Amino acid sequence: MPIDAANPVPPSFPRHVGLDQVPDHVPAELIRQSGLTFGPEFLAGPHDFMAALHEKQPPIYYDVSPMGNMWHLTKHEDALFGLRHPDIFSNEGATPFPRDPNDYFYFIPIEIDPPHHRKYRNIVDPVFSPKGVLKLEELIRRRSNDLIDEIEAKVAAGGTCEFTEDFGRPLPVSVFLDIMGLPQAMRDTFVEWAMELLHSNDRAIMGQAMAKIGAYLKEAIAEKKANPDDGVVSLIAHAEPDGVPLSEKEIFGFVCFLFIGGLDTVFATLNNIWLWLAQNPEQRQEIIDRPQDIDRIVEELLRRWSVTFSGRVLDKDYEMRGVQMKKGDRVTFILPACNFDPEVFPDPKTVDFDRPRKTILAFTVGVHSCMGGHLARLEVKIALQEWLRRVPQFELQPGTHIEYRPGGVIGPEAVPLVW
Amino acid sequence: MPKVTYVDHEGHASDVDVEVGDNVMHGAVYNGIEGITGECGGGLSCATCHCYIDADWVDTVGAPSSQAEEELLESAAAEVRPSSRLSCQIEMTSALDGLVVHMPEHQF
Repeated sequence: MPIDAANPVPPSFPRHVGLDQVPDHVPAELIRQSGLTFGPEFLAGPHDFMAALHEKQPPIYYDVSPMGNMWHLTKHEDALFGLRHPDIFSNEGATPFPRDPNDYFYFIPIEIDPPHHRKYRNIVDPVFSPKGVLKLEELIRRRSNDLIDEIEAKVAAGGTCEFTEDFGRPLPVSVFLDIMGLPQAMRDTFVEWAMELLHSNDRAIMGQAMAKIGAYLKEAIAEKKANPDDGVVSLIAHAEPDGVPLSEKEIFGFVCFLFIGGLDTVFATLNNIWLWLAQNPEQRQEIIDRPQDIDRIVEELLRRWSVTFSGRVLDKDYEMRGVQMKKGDRVTFILPACNFDPEVFPDPKTVDFDRPRKTILAFTVGVHSCMGGHLARLEVKIALQEWLRRVPQFELQPGTHIEYRPGGVIGPEAVPLVW
Repeated sequence: MPKVTYVDHEGHASDVDVEVGDNVMHGAVYNGIEGITGECGGGLSCATCHCYIDADWVDTVGAPSSQAEEELLESAAAEVRPSSRLSCQIEMTSALDGLVVHMPEHQF
């Protein structure tokens, strides 16, 4: 049932949490408490944990968790099917981010299914298309080099490089500000807000951060309405799909979603890849030695180090692999596990830049495929090129114990590097 | 602006103007032509903009433009033929004015 994006209302179907809230239609033999995203086994090595799901769990199981009970699906084939059938697996109400029920808004376009989805995508597609993002190439290269300058100066002065803070976080924030048409002077403030919102694990702090971000973005939207420019905030604020201007709530939900969608994912991806680079000097050298293959190198690294999940809600009863799911059930496609499906990617944990091209799920698939995917690829590619050109040899600071963040975007907490 | 004719699997044809420099997948997606999905947006990662180049145009359009396109075409849902291309990889030029592409019954 398509929702009315201009008149948002919170979803009404129930959330089930814990063992005493397992619906009757779930067979007892499919119930698991996997600990995905928070258990000690997961946090010790999240990608190994997700690769092992293919051996340890059935392809569809019902996960009971303090974060909410839901079906987990791990097969590549099932994810392609499910994510390409929004009439069965709906996005409406499936995004877990908390909002004020009295001032509710939809995250646009992720919470809008067809037929209205395309209307929003068409507004920003020219900016985020492969061709559109190429216009940002020089800028991203400059931002990367500026950060490496700062890091080298710090290291020369006797300091140390902590990759996630010194590069992984500020690069995507900087690029986001450029694209949106917001001032670079806001970089460190945005970094702080993003950390509070996404990593404080404290709902009060998260709420305050959301309020600060919301207030800033609302003001920025008003400013761009008065003074149009070629940034994306202005583009959305002035969009008139089918001749009808977007409502305040649509504009806000769209801009706000771009903020949340783009920052943490690229951050975590870079952190995962750099941790691996630091520990794998031979493959690092292979990347340096094969500059002409950078695109397939990036694709393989995105497969190996995917960072997030796709959540959906069943819009009708549906049976898959003999498992009966019911309307209203929540479903999570474990995208990193799908990228480790040995039937599609043999020897899945091996990084192999010569794998034949197949559909990877790093950016999900279907109508809700990540609109920032081309930008993310470009950011990873430029970051690799510029970093390895300037800092070809580096390793993890001796004695480092890597810890992962619990939560829906997977990456190491800190990656201290030495060279 | 050069024109592209999209023919669906039942033979219905639609003519669309596609700007020089844009690609044949966008021509369909932005103009509501069902039959080309283009879900990844042209990133060579989904194989859902598969089309068959009309026999009269095969020589002009040419073979897949990269190894990645060739490999990914193997994942296409419908039968892959010698005339198969991923339409996101066909950039519009004035030489392609009048291009006819046939769309498969399924993209996935």
